[in-house]
Amino acid sequence: MASVRLPSLRSFRSFRGQLVVVFVGLFAVILATCFIVVAAAVRASARSEINEELRLAGTLFVRQFEARSQQLLTATRLLSGDFALKTAAATADQATTRSVLENHRQRIEADVLLLLTPEGNIAADTRDPGRLGVTFSLPGLLEEAEQSGEASRIAAMDSGLYRLAVVPLLAPVPIAWLAAGFSIDDRTAADLRRVTGLHISFFHRREPGLVVQASTLDGADRDELERGLAGIRREGVIELAGQPHVIRVERIGDDVVVVLQRPLAEALAASTGLFRTLFAVGGAGLILALLGAIVVARRMSRPVLALVGAAQHVAAGDFTTAVSVQRRDELGELGTTFNTMLAGLRDRERVRAELERAERLKRFFSPQLAELLSAGDESMLASHRREITVLFCDLRGFTAFAEKADPEDVMRLLRDYHATVGALISRYEGTLERFTGDGLMVFFNDPVPCPDPATRAVRMAIAMRDAVQRLLDEWRRRGHTLGFGTGVDMGYATVGRIGFEGRFDYAAIGTVTNLSARLCQEASDGQILVSQRVYAEVESLVEAVALGALSLRGFARPLLAFSVVRLRAAPPEAAPPGTLTRQLAKEEPR
Amino acid sequence: MKRRLAVTVLLVLWALFAARAGVRAQARLGAVDAMVTDDKGRPIEDAVVSLMTFGTPATAPPPATAVMDQHDREFVPHVLPVYLGTRVNFPNRDNIRHHVYSFSSAKKFELPLYIGTPAAPVVFDKPGVVALGCNIHDWMLAYLYVLTTPHFAKTAADGKARLDGLPPGTYEARVWHPRLRGDTEKTGKPLTLAAGEPAQVAFVVSLKSEWRIPRKLVDPYKER
Repeated sequence: MASVRLPSLRSFRSFRGQLVVVFVGLFAVILATCFIVVAAAVRASARSEINEELRLAGTLFVRQFEARSQQLLTATRLLSGDFALKTAAATADQATTRSVLENHRQRIEADVLLLLTPEGNIAADTRDPGRLGVTFSLPGLLEEAEQSGEASRIAAMDSGLYRLAVVPLLAPVPIAWLAAGFSIDDRTAADLRRVTGLHISFFHRREPGLVVQASTLDGADRDELERGLAGIRREGVIELAGQPHVIRVERIGDDVVVVLQRPLAEALAASTGLFRTLFAVGGAGLILALLGAIVVARRMSRPVLALVGAAQHVAAGDFTTAVSVQRRDELGELGTTFNTMLAGLRDRERVRAELERAERLKRFFSPQLAELLSAGDESMLASHRREITVLFCDLRGFTAFAEKADPEDVMRLLRDYHATVGALISRYEGTLERFTGDGLMVFFNDPVPCPDPATRAVRMAIAMRDAVQRLLDEWRRRGHTLGFGTGVDMGYATVGRIGFEGRFDYAAIGTVTNLSARLCQEASDGQILVSQRVYAEVESLVEAVALGALSLRGFARPLLAFSVVRLRAAPPEAAPPGTLTRQLAKEEPR
Repeated sequence: MKRRLAVTVLLVLWALFAARAGVRAQARLGAVDAMVTDDKGRPIEDAVVSLMTFGTPATAPPPATAVMDQHDREFVPHVLPVYLGTRVNFPNRDNIRHHVYSFSSAKKFELPLYIGTPAAPVVFDKPGVVALGCNIHDWMLAYLYVLTTPHFAKTAADGKARLDGLPPGTYEARVWHPRLRGDTEKTGKPLTLAAGEPAQVAFVVSLKSEWRIPRKLVDPYKER
């Protein structure tokens, strides 16, 4: 069995390579999808984390602001209880009142302290001594104080943002309002940023939108935030300096909102480790997938490549290489089918070879022998003894002719001669044992037995003589002296294969061949010499002339010989030629 | 001695006469029953109903005195109407000091931390409302209402007040309350009092909410 050739590079590329590409590609796609999903989830989680953080911060912020407002309120209330302040407010002059206010402002470290008349006009302002009689700009705050006894809120006042507390000055009935304010400015925002770690901006809602009042951001970012805030109610994302920031808006007062923000990148930074791990795991997975894909592809492609190899063998005419496919899948089926097909091809090839062999044999052997041989029955090739009738014939004067004539003529004559006698040999089903130039030996009753070998031999001899004479007449007319002689004898001979490996002949050896050869030599042109035994067989069939006893070389005593002239006209033809029974002759001892 | 006796007899006789005349006069004086409610008919306490006289003022009564107690860290009473010129004492009946003050324009005064009754009473010689406070007890609040007429009375919890000893004549009845919404002058109702005939007057008033610091703390040093 031939070995399967290694797969070529091209097939590796085209099939195995494709398998690997598909496997690894699929894995890569899955991996990429995972990455995208994880990245999206991480981003969403980061965003929600920031949102949550901001929400908490916002709540705390508002709480803290409320607490601070409460503190301010308490402090202001304490101040309002001061008797000196009451006295000053009720009795003393403006300068004293303002002085007391300034003193008290410093007590609570407020940014501004205001004394308002019950009607809501400014009676004293620590920021501006000359500011008197002006209506307080936040009547709503006073209304609330009137309703609730006191009020506190974050509001814009005189172009600044303040946390304000208003309490009545009770003596013991209200004689004035005391308002304390803490400015909310960039410093406040910066302080808060130190505590919360968040960017903080305060906005005042004014027509047409929000106006930044204080912030931890610098100018450009403030403007950007101011613009971005327009579309955001509570929370959202705004691009600041090219970075997405998650923001949260908390309302902390009349038309005042605080905006808390944190860059998304900060929260995403926590996921960097996760991504690194993911990349490492993904990369390792990809390498494993690649190796696995190569292994699987190799395993999958091996039977295919084996089939390809086997098919190539078939294409090259080698039907012996079956594929070994031990699989139960479709490839296994394909292998089995391929092997079945191969077996079919082998059968056909065998039949074809046999036919071819038979054809070949027919050219060298008699059709009978050829058929037997091609049928595979080689038993008769073993040497055996059989009674056969042997016919020898040759051309007289051929040697001289061959010397004189052109080689082309010699070949033409031989061709014509062989064609003539060959046709007759076939017709009379004789076994052509050999031909040597102009001579040839034919025997009958072997390997296919026939009931009347002698008759056949003689009939064929007559037919040959007549045919060859006609052929020779033409050559004689050209001036060549050519003749044709025949000798026939019958008797037991050892028949079978002789020769050596590579060159065998089917030959008959025995006295009968010698005698027929001698008789042929003895025969003159146109003469058919037969032995006595042959004559005995065909006596009734032919007209013959007894030649008496001939002394022949190689034979101790003279032998009777007869020259067959022609077939007798009267008796009908015996069994016509071509009706041989296919029956092997029994071996008979001599 | 005789002369002294004679004078004494004369005096007694005069006194008897005068007393008789007084009784007669008393019999001729009228009284007014006042009723003050809010717009839902609920009686209003501590409202001061006064009858203003026109033309010649009533004979000026002798300078009166009044008392504004401080008891259990509260002013008692909450509302004290007085006639112009009344001398008011501020006796402190607690065992702690008080610091009574007023920044009202009708009377600005201050009685710095003291115990007992200050030697000199405070004279209220300008009409109007005087809000009283205590510097160390924010919730302490009282009103002195200084009137230009001696005819006034304060409603009790049932919203009723009775004004006696009113000579017949034409008056304008007014009502005042610390939480009165609007001016007292605008509450004026003409009232003609016939001799010996009682009259009624009713006021329906609207009150503001009170600015008063609630007394929340339980004083751990509270004693009796």
